[in-house]
Amino acid sequence: MRLNKTLKIIKENTQLKVGCMMLVILFLAALLAPVIAPHNPNILSDDMVVAPNMKYWLGTDGLGRDILSMILYGARTSLVVGFTAAMIAGIIGTLLGGFAGYFGGRIDGVIGEMINIFMMMPTFFLILIVVALFGSGLFNVMVVIGLTTWVGNAKLMRAQAMSLRQRTFIKSAESIGESRMAILFKHIIPNGIFPIIANTTMGVAGAILTESSLAFLGLGDPNVISWGQIIQNGKSYLVDGWWMCVFAGLAIIFTVITFYLIGDGLNRVLSPKLRNLGKEVRG
Amino acid sequence: MSRYLGRRILTGILCIFVALCINFVIIHAAPGNPIRLLVGKDNPNPQMIAELTEKYGLDQPKIVQFGKYVGNLLKGDMGVSIYTNEPVSDMIIDRLAPTAMLALTAAVLAAIIGTALGIFCARRVGTKLDAIMGSVSYLFDSTPSFWLGLMLILIFASTLHVLPTSGMIDMRADNEGFAKVLDIMKHMILPVSALTLTLIPYYFRIARSSIIQVMGEDFITTLRATGMPEKRIFRKYIFRNAILPTITVFGIQMAYLVTGSAIVEIVFSWPGMGSFVMTAITRRDYPLLMGIYLVLSVSVAVMMIVVDVLYSALDPRISHESK
Repeated sequence: MRLNKTLKIIKENTQLKVGCMMLVILFLAALLAPVIAPHNPNILSDDMVVAPNMKYWLGTDGLGRDILSMILYGARTSLVVGFTAAMIAGIIGTLLGGFAGYFGGRIDGVIGEMINIFMMMPTFFLILIVVALFGSGLFNVMVVIGLTTWVGNAKLMRAQAMSLRQRTFIKSAESIGESRMAILFKHIIPNGIFPIIANTTMGVAGAILTESSLAFLGLGDPNVISWGQIIQNGKSYLVDGWWMCVFAGLAIIFTVITFYLIGDGLNRVLSPKLRNLGKEVRG
Repeated sequence: MSRYLGRRILTGILCIFVALCINFVIIHAAPGNPIRLLVGKDNPNPQMIAELTEKYGLDQPKIVQFGKYVGNLLKGDMGVSIYTNEPVSDMIIDRLAPTAMLALTAAVLAAIIGTALGIFCARRVGTKLDAIMGSVSYLFDSTPSFWLGLMLILIFASTLHVLPTSGMIDMRADNEGFAKVLDIMKHMILPVSALTLTLIPYYFRIARSSIIQVMGEDFITTLRATGMPEKRIFRKYIFRNAILPTITVFGIQMAYLVTGSAIVEIVFSWPGMGSFVMTAITRRDYPLLMGIYLVLSVSVAVMMIVVDVLYSALDPRISHESK
């Protein structure tokens, strides 16, 4: 059975095992937030800046909202942003990299140059300026992060496609007259996708960090609860209400570690050669 | 080599041009009108709006504005800030030094500490200590630098009252000479620590894995077989071969010198580029924003090229002619 095999792989790699367990906890927290949250995170109660106690396990913020409930709901925002942005980056990177690597020639020249140019861009500032000027709705944030972080994936896919196109099974597919598009989508991409999957998992972590940084700078979506926003609001209460910043930050760390562990684990399981490449350098 | 260098520089110029275009398009397509902001909400005098729009050339076609912008840039003129009326280039230069000071210190410290820890663990690979250090590096890698900064403020400034929370100098003390240098250093401790701690994991992991890799190579086994002392093998052969990736990462870090520390600067109200960008954004100061973004793009592009060239000069194994 395929499922059994997958489970066995996960069990054998410590990083994957721990990461997957943490991911399950995260998903449960996000999915069940309305059920398990002790309070409504949007209700402004009269208990303002209350330290953690039996009623409010992680305390309340300056407007009397329950921090634990806000963190549970914030998990939804983080996961949605992380996955959507990383998916966008993954798809763009795979397509561009695949085209460049498989078709080569002029297409590779143009896409290769695009990759080089994007490598040199200070992406965080670009994201910052776009979000600041065009509005900080969640949709904007996700799309902008996705559109600026595909470079790593494109480089990986390009290298994969370049080596795959020399292999016999691709040559034979070409010789029996399969169209090049069909080969790209049916053989090259499915066979070369694994490093991109691992890198995209890391990308989820990166996107979550970027989103929380934006929210911390006051450039997050004001209509949704996010961890960065909790920290931004809690900053003014740092001395009298340390719990606001501390717990929301721990939630971010927990989530980011989860995706790093899974990404790293996948790297090791899928391609032992890539072990040392690790993750891309943050810009 | 020179052909390769030429290509890299061409890419760099192309990159700067693309950055210019993106910059121009984004800022001019964005909603919000700086003239309105300048005139104020209370008495929008139509004549004043018209005059100001004309003064800043905002009434001309976009392509003309773009041409003018590029032309002025080539003359070294980045325009004047809409808000303060000062030349953009002067305003940016004022902010560059504090940022560079902060980021450079952090980058050097992180490179030294991270590499040392990486070497330490690589020589004890598989031990408990190595595993613990590995986990700790994950932890710091996942920590948002702004949050770490806040925690440092909470512990050292708000609770222990040993270090200042924000700024670069003590405004009340009015220090001169050596006292001023000491004062700046004191203000630097917390932001530099926040940056350094989040940068260390990169150097740690890269140094560790590349040392382990080189230690497993055949020529090291051969050297051992000749009976060369372990210390000498390490110093002369392992270290020299394994340090190259660290140099690359350091170079890339240098490229992002001006941009990497932005958020930490904002947390600590450090008077550098980071907080400057936020001010420019809230004031919708278009010329200033364009200037900042341009300076950042140029500095990243130039540094990337320098790193590439230096790297190929350092490592003779990389030959770009064959590509």
